[in-house]
Amino acid sequence: MPPGEDPAICPHCGRQFPRERAVTLHVGLDHTEAASDEAVEAFQAAYRDERTELRRFQLLALAVLVVLYFGFLFAFAIVG
Amino acid sequence: MVLALSLSALSSTALAHSGSLRGDTSGLAIPTWLFLATGGGVVGASFLLSSFATDRRLVSAIHGWRRRLSAAPPALTSLGSVVGGLAVAFVVVVGLTGPEDGTRNAAIYVVWVLWWAGALICAYLVGDVWSVVDPFRALARRLPTLDVSYPERLGAWPSAVGLLALVFVEVVTPLADDPRLLAGVVLAYTVGTLAGAATFGPERWFSSVDPVARTFAQYGRVAPIGRGDDGGLSLRLPGMALAEPPADARLDAVGFVVAVVWATSFDGLVTTPAWADLVGRLTELGVPALATYVLGLAGGYLLFLGTYLVAARIARRTSDTYLTTAALARRFAPALLVIAAGYHLAHYLPYLLSLWPALVATVGGSLGGALAAVTGGSASGVGSVPRAVLPGWVGSVSLSFVLLGHLLAVWVAHAAAFETFPERVAALRSQIPITAAMVVYTVVGLWIVAEPSVTPPGVGP
Repeated sequence: MPPGEDPAICPHCGRQFPRERAVTLHVGLDHTEAASDEAVEAFQAAYRDERTELRRFQLLALAVLVVLYFGFLFAFAIVG
Repeated sequence: MVLALSLSALSSTALAHSGSLRGDTSGLAIPTWLFLATGGGVVGASFLLSSFATDRRLVSAIHGWRRRLSAAPPALTSLGSVVGGLAVAFVVVVGLTGPEDGTRNAAIYVVWVLWWAGALICAYLVGDVWSVVDPFRALARRLPTLDVSYPERLGAWPSAVGLLALVFVEVVTPLADDPRLLAGVVLAYTVGTLAGAATFGPERWFSSVDPVARTFAQYGRVAPIGRGDDGGLSLRLPGMALAEPPADARLDAVGFVVAVVWATSFDGLVTTPAWADLVGRLTELGVPALATYVLGLAGGYLLFLGTYLVAARIARRTSDTYLTTAALARRFAPALLVIAAGYHLAHYLPYLLSLWPALVATVGGSLGGALAAVTGGSASGVGSVPRAVLPGWVGSVSLSFVLLGHLLAVWVAHAAAFETFPERVAALRSQIPITAAMVVYTVVGLWIVAEPSVTPPGVGP
């Protein structure tokens, strides 16, 4: 744990996270039975919100895949 | 598969290091750099593709799929270790009294073809068979123990060192060709193992120190059949046991996995012309050949381990987590076992297929000779030892095993990341450096495979 950090802490198991959202998701995933109804709702909202970030990552992944594909296609065409 | 049986004598060095995967590069239509880049690119691309599998329900459904299997009756397991004991006895007896020529001696085939190739393949394709058949473990459990407390700090490091030592001995001595030496080593292993197990207790010894048992156990976790939490047998999807959260964040397990990966690579590295070149140049400078091998083994291992640990350290930053580097390293190391299994299968399946007729012929010859000695008849002994010639496409199929190993490894790491991080983007980002490390291992492994095979210089018969 780097000093000077203010971690978000899970109320059930004490595990530390850098962000509030990580705790919300963690509680929903790993403490499903113990979580209160608001916690479950917060988890579901956070899980849905994650999707925007995920989509951005996937778009980047797709772009790299396309570059890789065409790169190899040309390499094989020139060499083969 | 159509196998043409041809009666031909095997060259002794080809026996240990042969495999139709190697030396195929004259048939490679593309330059080596493109071959390597494609291999690395496939691994990278599979990580990118895995980033589209982000539905947690899907990932845990695949990861968590289980079927309980009925446990084998204890009588069967006891029978297994009896069979194992007989096999070890056979190896020692035939090794010491059989033909001196390794290519005709059944002991060589039983150890290298049936056991090191066949049983190990079984271990990662079906389940850890060695734990059923291992006579040393079965015997050690019946003997009294001193129960000296094992230094916890050492953990599983002795097994990593042991595995590297085993590979070293196999490379620099004619262990793969000389039956007398093989029998001697088996006897020494028996004594050493029983003594060690008697000192520290068999469970501790075989899980942390004995490299053989640990190699089989770790490879066994790649397989679909394994021990469930309740001690019974369970069926799961291949590799999924490796995504289970580990019990600790110790690096000894990481060290062992990297040793498994490096051992496979080193075995191939020493037969490359580039290695022969290096040994030659250093010998001219006055460095003894053996020292080069030691330095190569140790140096390469430390490089592989260092690469992985650096990757884990970078993963700490890309995933923005409080988990320690050691915890991350520990979490994702098991995925590397799948890569090692892929290489092992690619190298040893053709080896096994081409040499199993020789195994059958020499074992049959030995048993026939023994029977004749007991009944007073005469035996013809082993004539020429047959070997199967494999069709050319076996090499391509082998390469596909390497590929499949990598694809599965990426998935296992993906599942492990999802298990570890509550935030899915953090999980994906943690995999960037891990995949990069896998790409490094892939490129090194493929380069070794692409090089033609020569006899390791400065050592051997």
